[in-house]
Amino acid sequence: MSRRRRIRSTFVAALRAFIRRKTAVFFTFFFPILIILIFGALVRTQPTGGLFAREPAYYIPGYLGVVVVFTPLSRVGSTIARHRDGNRFEKLATTPLRRWEWLLAHTLVNVAIIGLAALILFVLVLGVTGANVVVGPLLLVLVPLVVAGVALFCGLGAIIGRVASSQDGVIAVSNAVAFPVWVLSETFVPPSMLPAWFRSVTAFSPLTYFSRGVRAAATGSDPTVATLVLAALSLAVFVVGALAVPRTE
Amino acid sequence: MSEAETGAGAALVAEGVSKRYGDTVALDGVSLSIPAGEVFGLVGPNGAGKTTLVRALTGTTRCEGSIGVLGAAPNAVDAQRVGLLPQSFNPADRLTARELIAYYAGLYDEARPVAAVLDDVGLADDADTWYENLSGGQRRRACVGTALVNDPDVLFLDEPTTGIDPAGRRALWGLVDDLAAGGTTVLLTSHSMAEVERLADRVGLLRDGSLVAVGSPAELIADHGGDSRLLVDGADVDAAAVATALDAEVGERDGRLVVRNVSLAQVGELVADLEAAGVDFDSFTWAEPSLEDVYLRLTGETMADVDAGETVDAEVEAGR
Repeated sequence: MSRRRRIRSTFVAALRAFIRRKTAVFFTFFFPILIILIFGALVRTQPTGGLFAREPAYYIPGYLGVVVVFTPLSRVGSTIARHRDGNRFEKLATTPLRRWEWLLAHTLVNVAIIGLAALILFVLVLGVTGANVVVGPLLLVLVPLVVAGVALFCGLGAIIGRVASSQDGVIAVSNAVAFPVWVLSETFVPPSMLPAWFRSVTAFSPLTYFSRGVRAAATGSDPTVATLVLAALSLAVFVVGALAVPRTE
Repeated sequence: MSEAETGAGAALVAEGVSKRYGDTVALDGVSLSIPAGEVFGLVGPNGAGKTTLVRALTGTTRCEGSIGVLGAAPNAVDAQRVGLLPQSFNPADRLTARELIAYYAGLYDEARPVAAVLDDVGLADDADTWYENLSGGQRRRACVGTALVNDPDVLFLDEPTTGIDPAGRRALWGLVDDLAAGGTTVLLTSHSMAEVERLADRVGLLRDGSLVAVGSPAELIADHGGDSRLLVDGADVDAAAVATALDAEVGERDGRLVVRNVSLAQVGELVADLEAAGVDFDSFTWAEPSLEDVYLRLTGETMADVDAGETVDAEVEAGR
């Protein structure tokens, strides 16, 4: 009961602190919409070849991946940097709040924000790019996939926040990590277009399993394996991320 | 379990606590015992180790030596019984004062009513103002409120009144008085000697990581504060004439003549002597030694001033 109270209190404070930053809220939703408009509406798929040669539904994981990767990485990382600058962890260390409880509360905030953003993006992708999905129970697997993806990148964001010494450093490292992960995890570039040696590298990217799971769920294939692998990776990275949340100087 | 953790009757015990940052010694074998219910003031120059000692006592930094807080190691003590206001604490700026207090209250199993805490720190009327829109003093008071939500038995306040206006400072002093009257053990650091002298039962003075003096303000002043002084002002006042009239050693500091070791009862008599001798002076001031004199003397921060004053004394004496 008291654990739930601590997590809820931290969640409410973090959510309020975020939604009152209107610029951050605007760009959290605007940036992925911009990506859809650029790639989905302007570039469009090119059946004759090129980078966007697949059917529009192939790129759904890429569009969702924008919010699943970029937002938690930079948000949790910079939140940790801000907490450290303001000596907030020093204070929290003397309260009953555990590190994993802090990270869970902030992960839930990200799940709420990114869940909403992902829903908007999904509808927009269908409307703007003409992507066809198989509507059925498997589509609901998108929910745990997004939750697991967000939790994983929140954990990674916590690790980056611990390692980087400032908010600027967090943003730089987040972008350096997020961009290649986002592009090269079977999102926009099909494995067949990559060098053979690089295909095995993509297997080490957790977003690859997010992509496979989302693509399977959207097209009516079985997403179980990808979802389970992503969930296991998510749990592992979350635990490491929780240990990375600063407690002492 | 170490001896510090079992210290009977003591709320806080430190024994041989040392901390280094590379080649820099932050704490050098600090030993300290603070009984339950005491208000202990920690003073010292910037970099003396005050904040490091607070961090050591709250378990937020690792150090050598042994520490006991309410009979347990800092990281093992019941968090419900400890409150901390860190130095330069800067909470989320887009929460109202009420939401901020409520957030920290939500971290404890048993918390005081948010309204009561806001009332205690004088923010009841501004409870719904975002933290970023509060004045500097109001912000600091909100931060103090976050350390009071769990009604702690031991409260650490690291420079609690920095940036607070005199009225706000006095309100916080009253709050610390109330907490102490209720049995809370308070360790506060400050750069304001008036604040520490006003609040603390005992004072510890840190210099270069070492605790160089501990005692009640009165004890420290008696031991290290020096003499009471009569200060004589006047554009044309002559040191030799004053020395002759009072038959005393006369020094000079900041353009004023200083007669040392003068009790308050002697002031009237000495002024009469000056007037009788026809010494031309404008005003006089009698000053008792204060905790600030102790601080300056023990930290050596103004040794140059002290030396200069003593040199003038010698010169005046030589000229008589």
